[in-house]
Amino acid sequence: MNDAADREVRMALLQAQTRRHFLRTLGGGLGTLFVGTSMAQYASPSKDAARSESSLDFTRDESSPLSPLPPQFPAKVRRVIYLHMAGAPSQLELFEYKPDLKRLDGQDCPASFLAGKRFAFISGVPKLLGSQYPFHQVGQSGHWISDRLPHLEQHLDEVCFIKSMRTDQFNHAPAQLLVHTGNARLGYPSFGSWVLYGLGTENQNLPGFIVLLSGGKSPDGGKQLWSSGFLPSVYQGVQCRSHGEPVLYLDDPPGVTRSLRRTMLDAIDRINQHTYAAFGNPETVTRIAQYEMAFRMQMDATDAMDIHQEPEWVRARYGAKPGESSFANNCLVARRLAERGVRFVQLYHWGWDSHGADAKEALNLGFADRCREVDQPTAALLADLKARGMLEDTLVVWGGEFGRTPMRENRDGQVMKYVGRDHNPGAFTIWLAGGGIKPGFSHGQTDEMGYEIVRDPVEIRDLHATMLYLLGFDHHKLNYSFQGLEQKLTSVKPARVVAEILG
Amino acid sequence: MNLRPRMSDENGPSMNAPGSGLFKQFRLGFAMLAPILGVAALVALLPPDGNERAEWAQFIGRFHPLVVHFPIALLLVVPILELAGSSSRFSYLHLSTSFFLGLATLSATCAAILGWCLGRTGGYSGWLITQHMWAGVLLSAVCWLCWLLRTRMPATGKAYGIALVVGVGLVAWTGYRGGQLSLGANHLTEHMPAGLRHVLGVQHSTPALGSIADPHTFYGARVQPILAARCISCHSADKHKGDLRLDNYRLLMRGGKDGPVVLAGNIQGSDLFRRITLPGNHDDFMPKGKSPLSADQVKVIELWIGAGASDRLAVDAIRSAPSTAAAPSVAEVSFDEIDRGAAAKLRSAIGPTVAELQKRYPNIIDYESRGSSDLRLNASILGSKFGDKDLEAFAPVAEHIILADLSRTAVTDRSAVTIADMKRIRVLRLANTGVTDALLLRLGTLDELESLNVFGTTVTPAVLGTMAKLPKLAHLYVAQTAIPSGGSIPPNLSGKIVF
Repeated sequence: MNDAADREVRMALLQAQTRRHFLRTLGGGLGTLFVGTSMAQYASPSKDAARSESSLDFTRDESSPLSPLPPQFPAKVRRVIYLHMAGAPSQLELFEYKPDLKRLDGQDCPASFLAGKRFAFISGVPKLLGSQYPFHQVGQSGHWISDRLPHLEQHLDEVCFIKSMRTDQFNHAPAQLLVHTGNARLGYPSFGSWVLYGLGTENQNLPGFIVLLSGGKSPDGGKQLWSSGFLPSVYQGVQCRSHGEPVLYLDDPPGVTRSLRRTMLDAIDRINQHTYAAFGNPETVTRIAQYEMAFRMQMDATDAMDIHQEPEWVRARYGAKPGESSFANNCLVARRLAERGVRFVQLYHWGWDSHGADAKEALNLGFADRCREVDQPTAALLADLKARGMLEDTLVVWGGEFGRTPMRENRDGQVMKYVGRDHNPGAFTIWLAGGGIKPGFSHGQTDEMGYEIVRDPVEIRDLHATMLYLLGFDHHKLNYSFQGLEQKLTSVKPARVVAEILG
Repeated sequence: MNLRPRMSDENGPSMNAPGSGLFKQFRLGFAMLAPILGVAALVALLPPDGNERAEWAQFIGRFHPLVVHFPIALLLVVPILELAGSSSRFSYLHLSTSFFLGLATLSATCAAILGWCLGRTGGYSGWLITQHMWAGVLLSAVCWLCWLLRTRMPATGKAYGIALVVGVGLVAWTGYRGGQLSLGANHLTEHMPAGLRHVLGVQHSTPALGSIADPHTFYGARVQPILAARCISCHSADKHKGDLRLDNYRLLMRGGKDGPVVLAGNIQGSDLFRRITLPGNHDDFMPKGKSPLSADQVKVIELWIGAGASDRLAVDAIRSAPSTAAAPSVAEVSFDEIDRGAAAKLRSAIGPTVAELQKRYPNIIDYESRGSSDLRLNASILGSKFGDKDLEAFAPVAEHIILADLSRTAVTDRSAVTIADMKRIRVLRLANTGVTDALLLRLGTLDELESLNVFGTTVTPAVLGTMAKLPKLAHLYVAQTAIPSGGSIPPNLSGKIVF
């Protein structure tokens, strides 16, 4: 059967050879021959020098593009669990305690706040809006927190806040792209792809970069948020479902045995090998690797995603209910994946865009629901990682794509029925926990209204540089040649490792 | 020199129509004069101004030194031909003299045009280039005059002789100036023997008095080193673009062709400050084509101009001046330093064993980092497929393992010896394995152990005494074991146990 397939491929290749191929090979071949022989002596030493000094070597065996590579430097963390709150949760209802804003609640917003600013929806002169929830201090660290996250607050001594995050995007999709790819435009590799490219993954039976969604909708940035951009597509995130088949069409259809599947894959592999030998397109290698991984995943992915295997008390701790598509289930799965060596687990929980346009977007209604949905699972994840000794080499990041305004949103200049806030790219809060992070610390500060940063602004690229540092990379050195540039996650603007939050 | 046969014009009169006059007769002569006048006009109207221009003219101009040797040789040959031709034996040489003169004129004109291109675009200025240029133009004209006298006015034998002598003199002078331009002003006398130098009275060229700055002044200690490092390659005796020299204080304060560049006390008015603070792509930016001065260098110059731009100011007079080695203002991270030499040596020793293990157990063992010789073993991903026998295979590299994650593997107490041999291990994970107290009690020699994980095992409080003696242990993970969170704990383990 395979011989027949071989013949078919050869025939297809012969047909693919056109007159133009012939002419191109004819002319180019002689030139290449000359350049190849005469330039070789110059090319190789300089290439070696460049290899050793300016860039790291990430080449792997073609058949295993995901095989692990040691980090550039001894690393503090080996894996990342990123909890993205899609829609941008209000820092003023969660972690930013601003008593002065509360005092001025209901007053007209000062003109100085509005001059030269663009908002998504605010128009005219909005009113200042104090926090909708009471705040208190907790733990040794004395972090301030509202009453919405009663489970998480027990673990704030493990957590390091950055209250001076800043972005230059004020719409969800580009802002999410900036957070996850370092660039507000499409086409750039996500953080997880970079990490996978740089470090590979130890468990070859699972994808190294897994994405789990909850909250009923995909994040606005869509699949681009876990795209591999210009990196080979083998490094892109694999979106898994938290109930049913983890990956659609992963299981063998009825009547197809695993050995039959193996035979079929062997034939497909041989065809693909021929194609790769003929055209040299690295995407063919990606395809081969992904067929193989899918085959191995048939066992392991289903096993890893199956939270039935967890004891009842563990599921209860997360609030996880098998069969649901919930943030709780995803957090538990994230821990199981991290245990199995998955390099980057990315969770998105949708529904934090609290404009106040309807009940689901209201700070006093939908927002409170979102808090309930993430509070217990997030706390359980931190506690579970800590108890299992995994927090010492796992980095957990929690945050949205921008902040929210200290002014109440007044869409079309009207007083709205529900209470909400508009987008504020000028300041937002995220937190990190885990290996190499200074626990119980808070970095940066905003003004009395929580509107603008007054101390230690942190750009997205600074956060990326810091995360790469923890993973053992100088962010300048994790790069990939594309379009004539040594492309890197932190792009071309200067980025700084936020040394203050490292402990 | 009056034996010249008139080869080129023998048929002239018969070919010219009557009344065509002087112009027709001298057609060739005027055709040769035109470019000479043209280049003279260029030199007069567009002299070199010290600005470098990257354009076609410079590309062409770079051929000037190549072409310039032709008129030199061709013109020097002419008097030889004339002299030799005057003897009857070589009289036939006269026949070619006019031709040589014509060639010399043509090549001199070409060289002059290329010379102007180079001078105009190559960033030259000053008296040296001016003299060289005018001499070159004059030389072309003299060549042409020689040719004209020789071929068209045979009666003026004396004038021709004088013109030829002047031409030869000009070749020497122009060549000497050209040599100075490319090789340095003292290129002929630099290595002259001292005796001859004394006889001829040639002085060693020494830096002008006062150009060596006093290192006890702010100017000498702080400003001059910046100028020396960043500016004088284009602004000194050898190359003084824009007629500006920054190699000594007096010339710095004198300024360039546009006037002073430093106005004492007037920072914003000082052209030097303006140019070093412009964006790098601005036409006036300095140093042109190079990286901008560092923020600290700019600050030093700014403060110095602000304080009066004196060369007497004491070195420590400006307290706010950034120190030469500026301290970083914000916290910086550094990656763990590894002694790469030692690591590479170790790696070459254990490399083959590690490579073999990597082949046998893919993806679970690797170096801690690119430059490190320490090993990390993560068998947890193999789960129950990894047992005591497998761990034994890693015994040859045991002392290089700094992390071993054996969680969920089939490893049992039988691995106690192998694990105890990992003398430098810092992190040991045995979560959800079948290990018991027996194994832990044998780990008392792991002096480097910082983190021990026995989550989900049957370990009991009996091990705590041994654990308490581990000097570096900071984390002991005992959740889901027989160690209760409320039980008694040895004092030096308090705060280190995670339940």
